[in-house]
Amino acid sequence: MSFFLKRTIGAGNGVGRAILNSTKIPGVQRVATKSTEKTPVQETRPTVAKLDPLQKAQLVDFGKYVADCLPKYVQKVQLTAGNELEVLIPPDAVIPVLSFLKDHHSAQFANLVDIAGMDVPSRSNRFEIIYNILSLRYNARIRVKTYTDELTPVDSACDVFKAANWYEREIWDMYGVFFANHPDLRRILTDYGFEGHPFRKDFPLSGYVEVRYDDEQKRVVVEPLELAQEFRRFELSAPWEQFPNFRANPVTEEVVNPSEDQPKK
Amino acid sequence: MLRQPLSRALALTSPVRAAPLTARRFADQVQAQPEKVEVFIDDQPVHVVPGTTVLQAAAQVGVEIPRFCYHERLAVAGNCRMCLVEVEKSPKPVAACAMPVMKGMRVKTNSDLTRKAREGVMEFLLVNHPLDCPICDQGGECDLQDQSMAFGSDKSRFTDIHFSGKRAVEDKDVGPLIKTIMTRCIHCTRCIRFASEVAGVDDFGTTGRGTDMQVGTYVEKMFLSELSGNIIDLCPVGALTSKPYSFAARPWETRRVDSVDVLDPLGSNIVVATRTNEVLRILPRTNEEINEEWLADKSRFACDGLKRQRLVSPMLVDSRGNLTPVDWEDAIVATARALRDCPPDKLLAVAGDLADAESLVALKDLVNKLGSENTCTEQYFPLEGAGIDLRSSYLLNTKIANVEDADFVLLIGTNVRFEAPLLNARIRKSFIHKETDVALVGPKVDLTYEYMHAGDSASIVKDLATGTSSHAVARRLEQAKRPVVILGAEQLRGPEGAALLAYTQQLALKLHDKLADKSWKVLNVLQRTASQVAALDIGYKPGVGGALQGGPRVVYLLGADSGVVTREALPKDAFVIYQGHHGDVGAQIADVVLPGAAYTEKRATYVNAEGRAQQTLLAVSPPGKARDDWKIIRALSEVVGERLPYDNLDEVRARMSEISPALVAYGDVQDNNYFAQATALAQSLQKPLSGKLDVKLKQLEDYFMTDPISRASPTMAKCIQAVIKQKQSPY
Amino acid sequence: MSARQAIKVGTKTVKPVLSSSHAEARNRVLSLYKAWYRQIPYIVKDYDIPKSEAQCREKLKELFIKNKHVTDIRVIDMLVIKGQMELKESVNIWKQKGHIMAYFKPTEEPKPKNFLSKFFSGNE
Repeated sequence: MSFFLKRTIGAGNGVGRAILNSTKIPGVQRVATKSTEKTPVQETRPTVAKLDPLQKAQLVDFGKYVADCLPKYVQKVQLTAGNELEVLIPPDAVIPVLSFLKDHHSAQFANLVDIAGMDVPSRSNRFEIIYNILSLRYNARIRVKTYTDELTPVDSACDVFKAANWYEREIWDMYGVFFANHPDLRRILTDYGFEGHPFRKDFPLSGYVEVRYDDEQKRVVVEPLELAQEFRRFELSAPWEQFPNFRANPVTEEVVNPSEDQPKK
Repeated sequence: MLRQPLSRALALTSPVRAAPLTARRFADQVQAQPEKVEVFIDDQPVHVVPGTTVLQAAAQVGVEIPRFCYHERLAVAGNCRMCLVEVEKSPKPVAACAMPVMKGMRVKTNSDLTRKAREGVMEFLLVNHPLDCPICDQGGECDLQDQSMAFGSDKSRFTDIHFSGKRAVEDKDVGPLIKTIMTRCIHCTRCIRFASEVAGVDDFGTTGRGTDMQVGTYVEKMFLSELSGNIIDLCPVGALTSKPYSFAARPWETRRVDSVDVLDPLGSNIVVATRTNEVLRILPRTNEEINEEWLADKSRFACDGLKRQRLVSPMLVDSRGNLTPVDWEDAIVATARALRDCPPDKLLAVAGDLADAESLVALKDLVNKLGSENTCTEQYFPLEGAGIDLRSSYLLNTKIANVEDADFVLLIGTNVRFEAPLLNARIRKSFIHKETDVALVGPKVDLTYEYMHAGDSASIVKDLATGTSSHAVARRLEQAKRPVVILGAEQLRGPEGAALLAYTQQLALKLHDKLADKSWKVLNVLQRTASQVAALDIGYKPGVGGALQGGPRVVYLLGADSGVVTREALPKDAFVIYQGHHGDVGAQIADVVLPGAAYTEKRATYVNAEGRAQQTLLAVSPPGKARDDWKIIRALSEVVGERLPYDNLDEVRARMSEISPALVAYGDVQDNNYFAQATALAQSLQKPLSGKLDVKLKQLEDYFMTDPISRASPTMAKCIQAVIKQKQSPY
Repeated sequence: MSARQAIKVGTKTVKPVLSSSHAEARNRVLSLYKAWYRQIPYIVKDYDIPKSEAQCREKLKELFIKNKHVTDIRVIDMLVIKGQMELKESVNIWKQKGHIMAYFKPTEEPKPKNFLSKFFSGNE
């Protein structure tokens, strides 16, 4: 199934091409995303990246393949910005999905590029944990997203990727998401004794405390914040948002959504 | 300005009104609802009454069509062409702002043709518009900037950089408030329409045509209007900007706080823009019930007075008789000692024009606890008859918005134009659009519209009330279906005030009895200041006259700056406590000065002339050691030993609602009744009237400085000089 | 299908952080307290702070009592995890003297409480 991720043009690899030639490729022609039923408009603007329809078709097919292989774990597969494949999974599925993507022969996403966190306080599961992984073998990237709240632990990916260790410490430090079975979960960026998790949206930009060197005490002291100067806050919403009607570009498009696909069968 | 979506304004002006406003429609006004027509905006069906424009219909389904010249409160001009839309079966794109809908019309607001038309219009506009956004004060809130981002082309075809260059127009000088950079003008004519329709000053116009077209005053002339600042908001580009605010700040770096204006009795809704604890400018906030979206010049431009002449530290008279800055502790202790040692009947508290309801309540509670009943306001109102017991006697009962529905307005002894400019704008609006007639008893003044002048003698009111007048005004009053009588509170000061009020009440009652619609209110008293209504609601006695006769030993001035209390009128050894924000008349005669907060510096309640309670919010913190006014009184009470039972604002408000629930019913205004009872009680006061009615504010130059804030404002001083200079010019 | 539903049901039930019962959480808190308690003499000595062991124990008790209203097992577990982390930082002398003294907040001035003192200090 490696052809799914093969950049066909310029891929001088004989094996890859052999597989490509020997396999029927019904999926490649059929661009099966839901929102792109119409023929896509050719991008002519010089400053905007052109999308490769073939690459996109391959990503779509790989996304479907992942969803087919892991029906229990994959909640949704989507494409962001035209060529970024995202797999949305529940927090329990982190280990199996990452293991699959790492170890499956036609995926080989062996390289954990980054783990990112995201806080959306309005959601019931306010945190999103985002794994960016790279397959050097197929020159492809995939993003795995899961969710959690302040108190639900997420399984540590350290057993799958050694690189996850510090990234997970960073997320623990910045967001307060607990990673179960992490070998060494402790602060990584904040100062000893720091309270709170700075990347949470409810953490004020200025923080709660200020630190200074006290001449009498002859050491650094921590005191509650007192801003001597006004805190500058800018009105940054774009004024042309007043015409929302004339601005329509969905960022993500769905590839697979089992919860919607299921009833049709 | 486009910042306010049209749909919101339409919700208030369309025939399908919200319930409280429908109640204003009167039996003879209700017409049969015309058949609605169905039109399709971007394939969304919408039912609208015939005569609606395409632009309004689109706004009803939430589609805002870009525009420059169209403004919902001004006449349609249709000259900017930005609102071009494609209509099916129409050969050319049509201007949505001027095109009435037709049955089954299919409008496409985002088709290729529409987009191309907009792009073309935008290109033409930008060809003649300078590229000086980085040094333009409108940058960041410019309709042209915003819309060229949204609808303009992504490239320029403007290549004429050699010979002729861009169009350039000489700047005009229209006074100290408005800065003009006429090269930026896109000829939307909003300012021209505003000046002639709303402000009633036909000074603006266009000269020339084509490339040579210019907006201006033809001869150099100041824009002599008390509403001139509104054309700054109306201008969609940076052609008209605020002179005091020029190069001060960008809109995205300011913090905006919703508040209420206190410099006239209407309580216009405002937005205070601040940065680094400094009020930069004041803009109007839309409130259909009060100020629509306009704002008077004093309210808008006097804000620089908030930075000058301020009291920043408590002060105490030293042994040489000079006020010297002291700590709060010393000032409070000295004040408390004076209050404690004063016999109750020799204690007098006087509330000024800008006092908020919270501090009024606190001061009254404190004075009452000390055993005195002497709390009064500076403005006078007759206590005889019903006095201030019936709220209807001292309020603007018709309400500001309803004045539009009147068919005859009788003004008695008031120059509405300068006492309440936006009420005058309402009267002018109905004068122009609804053929309302206006009559005036009092000195002849310029109200920006024609009126019948009945003379300036007070006896005319008596004649009208008793039906002995043969004047044309009397006949018109007889015929009026929805008459409004507005009495200026200024006239009630003299010895004949009570009689004048009594006759006015009788006249109003007589007119009311003949009305088919009994819910219509006729009697209105227009107060002069923002604090008066709240003070009367709380139970302050109007006027200091009687109280000064008693020879008070301790006088507590709560922002009393009108000069009613003077050193000469007080006994030699009287101790004067002044609490307020400006070093004005009151502070000069004080023995102790307690610095308070101005209206932008506190969360406080003000009741406007209609009896509508509104609150200001904290925009900046008080300067120096100044404190919230009610807190000063609360702290004082504890040191005196008569602790007031409230520690925070909620508790003060709870106390206010005990006194009158109307004081904390923010935004609401109650209907008032008991006109007949008030008239009956005043029956005995009907004495012959002989005096002449006179008003203080006659000319535009009188308007600009009426209170401590505007007196401290350099902009207002410049305005007065400019107006006087303009009067000497031949134009 | 059934598996997916099972997952949905499974994700709804709360997943424990460490402890599965109150008793277990209680044990964790007590053992953390004891661990801190035993380390106090060494901390006082190693960091050379101007506080006695008794004062430190009092502060330790105060900081634990501060969270006595917490009943959610998972919140207790989180607090225990963070307490454990702090303990490790202290014992390994990763912290500095200032970090330890930050528990005592010696330089903070008490906020004015009643109306008058707030008024005079301008803190209102």
